[in-house]
Amino acid sequence: VASRPKFSAQTLSVLAALCDEPSQWQHGYALAKQTGLKSGTLYPILIRLADRGLVEACWQDEPQPGRPRRHLYRLTAAGLASATGALASAARPTATKAARTPAVRGTVVGLAP
Amino acid sequence: MSKQTRVMVAVARALAWLLPAGRRDWAEAVWAEAQQVPPGMARLAWRAGGAWMLAREGLRPRRLGRVVVFAAAAALAAWTAWPKPGISHVTESEFTAIAMVVLLGLAPRFFGVASPSRAGRFLRVFCYAALLVFLAAQGFLGAFTGLVPRRAYQHLWAAPRGVPGTSTSGPNWIGATVMLVVAAGYVAVFLRLTSRRSQVTRGTLVLGTGWGLLFGVVMYVVAPLGLGNYATDPWLRGSEIDPLVVLAWVLLFGGPVAACVLAGRRCRRPDGSVPSYEFRIRQGIAAGVLASMTGALSVTAAALGTITLMIKSAWLRQWLYHSPHLTAFGTYSHEIRATQVGPYLFMCLGFPFVGLFMSSVAAAIANPAPRQPSSPPGNGGGPPGPGPEPGPVPPDGGRVDRVPVLALSGCTVFRMPGPPGSGLPMTDGE
Repeated sequence: VASRPKFSAQTLSVLAALCDEPSQWQHGYALAKQTGLKSGTLYPILIRLADRGLVEACWQDEPQPGRPRRHLYRLTAAGLASATGALASAARPTATKAARTPAVRGTVVGLAP
Repeated sequence: MSKQTRVMVAVARALAWLLPAGRRDWAEAVWAEAQQVPPGMARLAWRAGGAWMLAREGLRPRRLGRVVVFAAAAALAAWTAWPKPGISHVTESEFTAIAMVVLLGLAPRFFGVASPSRAGRFLRVFCYAALLVFLAAQGFLGAFTGLVPRRAYQHLWAAPRGVPGTSTSGPNWIGATVMLVVAAGYVAVFLRLTSRRSQVTRGTLVLGTGWGLLFGVVMYVVAPLGLGNYATDPWLRGSEIDPLVVLAWVLLFGGPVAACVLAGRRCRRPDGSVPSYEFRIRQGIAAGVLASMTGALSVTAAALGTITLMIKSAWLRQWLYHSPHLTAFGTYSHEIRATQVGPYLFMCLGFPFVGLFMSSVAAAIANPAPRQPSSPPGNGGGPPGPGPEPGPVPPDGGRVDRVPVLALSGCTVFRMPGPPGSGLPMTDGE
């Protein structure tokens, strides 16, 4: 069984933002607003994802007048598959933990004097 | 633009130079995006985060280690080559030292990062180390000959000659220029062949390096202390050296041929298939040129390094010239005669052309163009290849692939696969 890559919580948030509309190119600032990440955190994540071939980047062809061209990002096909899997597996343990917590807590409470 | 912003932009541009060539787009990206952030503290924070990202990316430990090692080695070489008091051709020596260090520092930015193979990384380190030794040695030896009294030269050579750096001879700008051009050529070839973009295979690099180092070792044993008529070999006496001289000549012409033929035969494409004959010819020529350049550079660095150490340290001089009959003047004359850098420079200049010629001939002979099979018209001239494999089913059930890829935006890069049969472009790694 191929092991899925592990992602940090911040990377997962970026993947989730990119997964919202995977076919659309997104800007760095929009991603920062969606994820709440600062530029110093967001861009290293995008660089790593691009290095791994999960995100593709390109320059805007037609910039707004008087403004520099923007860099655009979206998931590749491999990135979309990885992101979907990672987000699903990240959600699963949380659900499992939530389901178990009362029982565990109950046991601990029951053992307490 | 406020003063703070201007300062930050300048800092960011400077930091962007710390990044590898493939990362600089990101520096530009984070800076361009700052224009979309509302002005004020938010934009300042965005820029500060960008500067932090650039600093972190540029100063990653491994990269920082390489930069520090190179800076230390370059500083040591430049310090050794720096003109000492009493030499009149100060400007030329300073220019050579500074220009060489700048050349070595900036060159990787134009050729990209090294290929992931060990052979590629080794060749880059070897090239840089050899050129820094060359720089240090020629500077030191130039200073040494500049301080030799004219009478010593007149005594050693019958005809009076100009002594570099004294009243009879000015700065050798032609020599300095030739040296820089040769160094630039070596750096360009080594970095190009070992870059990630290069199509030269790992096997080709290994073969070229191996034959080149063998040639370099043989030449060094033959002439460790200069290539002139008066050069001496402290290890081999009289006719003992003759077989090695023959071997050196054989390797000079035969090494590139052997490397070329072997590289052409052994090269494979990444998928293991046998490449076309044009690809094999290119690999062969690359191996041949690499062999001759590696040989020339290794013997130059090793011999000039030995000569420099011999002049600097008495114990090495004593070890190299341990004859009981050797007088102090004899040793001194050996030193002066060994300090001729010119022959090594010409060797570095000429050997690559020898390698190029020999390997071109060998590659053309060893890799003949395949004859076209006489097939009936319309038969295509070869077995039918496998058809394209159907693309994988996307995990979202094809939601992405239903979007017309060409209409996504005004971008120039289209790498998303289209569904089979849709007529949209498939991912092909281009």
